[in-house]
Amino acid sequence: MFKKWYLMGVLAMVISLGTAIAGFAADYKIGIVTPSLSRSEEEFRAADALSKKYPGMTKHIILPDNFSKEQETGITQIASLAFDKDVKAIVISCGNSGILPAIQKVKDKRPDMIVITAPIWDDPDMMAKYVNLALDTDWVRRGESIPLKAKKMGAKTFIHYSFPSHIAKEVISKRKDMMKQTCENQQMQFVEVLTPDPQAGSNRQVMLQFLQEDIPRQIAKFGKDTAVFGTNCPMQDVIIAKAMELGFIMPEQCCPTPLQGFPAALGLEIKPEESTHFDMINKMIKDKVKAGNMTGRLSTWPISVSIFLPTFGFEVAKAAIEKKMEVTNIDQLKTLAKDISGVNVTFNPMKPGMTNYYLIIMDSIIY
Amino acid sequence: MKKYLPHLPQIIIISFIVTLFFIALKIDIAASTIFNDLVVRLILNSVVVVSLIPMVNSGAGLNFGVPVGAVSGLLGMVITANAGGKGLLGFFCSIAVSMPFAIVAGAIYGRILNKVKGREEIAATFIGFSIVSIMCLFWVVAPFTHPQMVWILGQSGLRNTIGLKDFWEKSLYHFMQFRIGELIIPVGSFMFIGMILLFLFLFSRTKTGMMMNAAGENESFARINGVNIEGIRILSVIISTTLVAIGTCIYAQQYGFIELYDAPLMASFPAVSALLLGGSSGKRFFLRHALLGVVLYQSLYLLSLPVANMLLMPQMAEIIRMIVTSCIILYALAKISHVSEEA
Repeated sequence: MFKKWYLMGVLAMVISLGTAIAGFAADYKIGIVTPSLSRSEEEFRAADALSKKYPGMTKHIILPDNFSKEQETGITQIASLAFDKDVKAIVISCGNSGILPAIQKVKDKRPDMIVITAPIWDDPDMMAKYVNLALDTDWVRRGESIPLKAKKMGAKTFIHYSFPSHIAKEVISKRKDMMKQTCENQQMQFVEVLTPDPQAGSNRQVMLQFLQEDIPRQIAKFGKDTAVFGTNCPMQDVIIAKAMELGFIMPEQCCPTPLQGFPAALGLEIKPEESTHFDMINKMIKDKVKAGNMTGRLSTWPISVSIFLPTFGFEVAKAAIEKKMEVTNIDQLKTLAKDISGVNVTFNPMKPGMTNYYLIIMDSIIY
Repeated sequence: MKKYLPHLPQIIIISFIVTLFFIALKIDIAASTIFNDLVVRLILNSVVVVSLIPMVNSGAGLNFGVPVGAVSGLLGMVITANAGGKGLLGFFCSIAVSMPFAIVAGAIYGRILNKVKGREEIAATFIGFSIVSIMCLFWVVAPFTHPQMVWILGQSGLRNTIGLKDFWEKSLYHFMQFRIGELIIPVGSFMFIGMILLFLFLFSRTKTGMMMNAAGENESFARINGVNIEGIRILSVIISTTLVAIGTCIYAQQYGFIELYDAPLMASFPAVSALLLGGSSGKRFFLRHALLGVVLYQSLYLLSLPVANMLLMPQMAEIIRMIVTSCIILYALAKISHVSEEA
């Protein structure tokens, strides 16, 4: 009995010592800002995983659930990081606009602070002025990469589902135009369909019910070699479920990740030990897709971009603080990105000549 | 006989729908597809629309607190799914499990509505919004464990959308379903919904049902005649809330996904619009109003969008559709209130 207690005591001491060493080994902290769990699980869990990987080194700030209505609270939260002398870098990963005032406040107080956004959606020119490194998915260029991939997967027709308040966003509308152009160049038919608008009056169910009815109509008309792309996250469950039922092509979701649409549509059972292992999740999807005779018809990026970007931003900040790399050195960025994601990641400057704002595209996985 | 005929607003909407129907046929949308889709939409929505009737008739106002019943239904479904319920049995279990929640929630909700007499509708709207937010917290912390239901990365709390494929997706729809050519006739769904309608009809003929209508038509007169107005109003709210819970279970079963978090937030508005579209010339609403309303409202959605997408510039289709549909609904409502003033 005594021996057991003794052993446990030693164990506790070792653990606390270990934690203390890990905690005090680094004399700096990195602030990481994400949305809340119910708004976006992936960024939240990425930050959570980083806090566990580097205990004592992270300061996780969670933005208000409804950021657009409580912007001031969010700005105060981010700006408060500047008052902590230990915080040497901030990684902001939330996909909101209206964060820039907070960054300006931080930079006014602490010009030395490394700020990495992964991503936020403020004015690119202003961001490039204040932010050390801005990262985002290459939304517009995906207008080229998605139809090309669809063509490779055998598509003859490309259907683009969206709704007015979404199409009104610049990147989405630009991407749509680019998709149309690419389809013309590749001799694919481009079909644009608008759904009821879930952000203006009618609710989400009305849009999804329309999709449930319209997709079979379109497939009956254009045949199975049709690629379907929807611009809104909730659409993906229905699109993938319908793809499994009707056999059409789903080249990529709006936010490419194995975790969007696939889990609900395929009923994935993911055990705790598998939850952050994308290799296992991808294999599971592959098996389900094969069982449904759909091999080669569904595709996405092999890891979640919403987990990759904050993790990557954090590692860049860490390496920069430890003077192991320059935050804007493109070759070093590419190497680090491949180490984290396991696939090739392409970096393109946001605008010609911009050296600290990069847009990424990852290599795809076709199930 | 005259009271069974539709009024002018309904006639306008019906003629608009008939026009849309012929255009739809013209642009190669098969009549059988339209019929099948309409049947699905009726299954999805009719119970929730019908559920509004007891509350309106007892004078507790239009039920803008549909989310109260909806979250009870969701709760019943996630508990059943977590316990491993499958098939038609699982579906009926989910309804049975949601019942107690709906009754308790309805009783509390009814008590609150009694306290805010005269402002029921706006109070109900906010009660609906609050319960959705409260349940958002609950879904995150609830101790559910089924690997198809919990958040993928965190392994706790419930996902936004839960696929019912491996549980009871379309189990009622496929039950006793048969086909006539291309037309799908889901007898099981019709029977179940028919039973609910029959229950409501028979209930309105009982003494309690009559007292409920009396309370709605003339409160003071009913009170003098010994009707317990407060009690009867709470009962009507409980019935409405329970029916919404059943409607939500039917919806998820048919649709194939349970949608949590803010999905039920705006659930009241399409239901209330459909009921109003069905029209009524007085204070009382009948089942036929609800059924006509849901058919009209859903056909508008069903037909206008594909037609607009084909005929108009795609970018403008949804905007023009929204303007036209909203205008017609608004016109119908204006006409209805006009008619009821005359009555």
